[in-house]
Amino acid sequence: MSSDFEAYEQDFGTITAELTNKIGRIPKLSGEEKTQLVLNVDKQLEEVRELLEQMDLEVREIPIQSRAMYNSRLKSYKQEIEKLEKDFKRSRIAYSDEVRNELLGDEASTSESQRAHLLDNTEKLERSSRRLEAGYQIAVETEQVGQEILSNLNSDREKIQRARERLRETDANLGKSSRILTGMLRRIIQNRALVFILGAIILLTIILAIYFNLRGH
Amino acid sequence: MDNSGKEKEAMALVAEADKKMKSSQSFFGAMFGGSSKTEEACDMYVRAANMYKMAKNWCDFQPFLTCNVFFLAAGNAFSQAAHLHLQMQSKHDAATNFIDAGNAFKKADPQEAINCLNRAIEIYTDMGRFTIAAKHHITIAEIYETEMVDIDKAIAHYEQAADYYKGEESTSSANKCLLKVATYAAQLEQYPKAIEIYEQVGTHAMDSTLLKYSAKDHFFKAALCHFCVDMLNAKLAVQKYEEMFPAFSDSRECKLLKKLLDAYEEQNVEAYTDSVKEFDTISRLDQWLTTMLLRIKKTIQDDESDLR
Repeated sequence: MSSDFEAYEQDFGTITAELTNKIGRIPKLSGEEKTQLVLNVDKQLEEVRELLEQMDLEVREIPIQSRAMYNSRLKSYKQEIEKLEKDFKRSRIAYSDEVRNELLGDEASTSESQRAHLLDNTEKLERSSRRLEAGYQIAVETEQVGQEILSNLNSDREKIQRARERLRETDANLGKSSRILTGMLRRIIQNRALVFILGAIILLTIILAIYFNLRGH
Repeated sequence: MDNSGKEKEAMALVAEADKKMKSSQSFFGAMFGGSSKTEEACDMYVRAANMYKMAKNWCDFQPFLTCNVFFLAAGNAFSQAAHLHLQMQSKHDAATNFIDAGNAFKKADPQEAINCLNRAIEIYTDMGRFTIAAKHHITIAEIYETEMVDIDKAIAHYEQAADYYKGEESTSSANKCLLKVATYAAQLEQYPKAIEIYEQVGTHAMDSTLLKYSAKDHFFKAALCHFCVDMLNAKLAVQKYEEMFPAFSDSRECKLLKKLLDAYEEQNVEAYTDSVKEFDTISRLDQWLTTMLLRIKKTIQDDESDLR
């Protein structure tokens, strides 16, 4: 029985060595070869899994005393296979990276485009910093204009206040002058009335004098 | 053309007014309506002067000299009218006519204009109208600034105007005049006066909500004047202003001042020039600032050469 197991172990060893080799080669290849190699590795992994199952069955048929040793070996083989599968997966991701590079331009021109990209970025940065400076300048100018406007407003405010005061004074003066004028008007009317009355009295006296004179004759 | 027509009319009017004057001075005229005759004569002088001014507007096509003649004639007519008004004791009208004469002479004969304006100011101060007198002081000062470059007299007039404005409680107009005085005083190296004015205006501005954004400008100028006198003064002054007015320390001007003070202490002309250039890129330095900063820079350079 154990000889079967050992035969299995030897097979296992060869296949894992091959697998490691192939998985190492996968990232470096491309195109047709790669796809074939990938399929190959897949098939070999399947074989190795079947081997492991058979080894498992074998181990169960072994008497319990020596089972421990075979169990531990089996465990280490399983771990190896899992590691190989992880490596395989990683190499397949690298596989897709290769295809991207093929799509987006090959290795030699990437450094040139990177340089141009960097120069572009620097220029953009410079342009934006220049624009920021100009914006700052405009802000400072705006502040100065604002200062002037505020001081103009202040002086206008004082002028308006003074004008209002003067207007109130003028109003009071106008009221006073209108009162004086009405007073003058009244006095004129009084004077005229007085003149008429005096005139009437004088006329009356003259008429009386003439009348008495004529009567005296 | 209208031009010569108006001129002839104006001359005719002046001749008539002169005749009226002469006739009113004779015996009968004085008795029977001298006052009305002088009033008419006044009127005619004013009309004649206005016509001369109109003639000026039409003679823009002709060489400059003839236009000045019209202004001279207009000014003369106005001053005749003003003298008549003085005789008639109507001071207000006399003063207005003197002002008109002054404006007409401004373009032709500045000296004569200043004379007329001075007489008008006398009349106004007699009547107690100080605001108007102050306004005309400013006009005279401007004439001295521009046409006859006599900065001392201009400063004197601006100061007088500021005093009158202060008397009439219009502090903003007074501050405007004082600032002009300070600018010129600093240019003429009368630093203590300038410093006092700038500090005064700055402290006043700090308190007012509208003006507080201009306060930092005034403190900056005051500190520069201190700097021209002596560096230690400037340092103390900057500290004092920062205490009084905390917002001052955030301004770019304060930062520039500190850099300049450091450059002066180290006697480092390049650092000085660099910081001035940096400030200039953001907001251009005007004439006055450039002169002041240049003076300070020269003192650094002199000190450097002294040490060598």
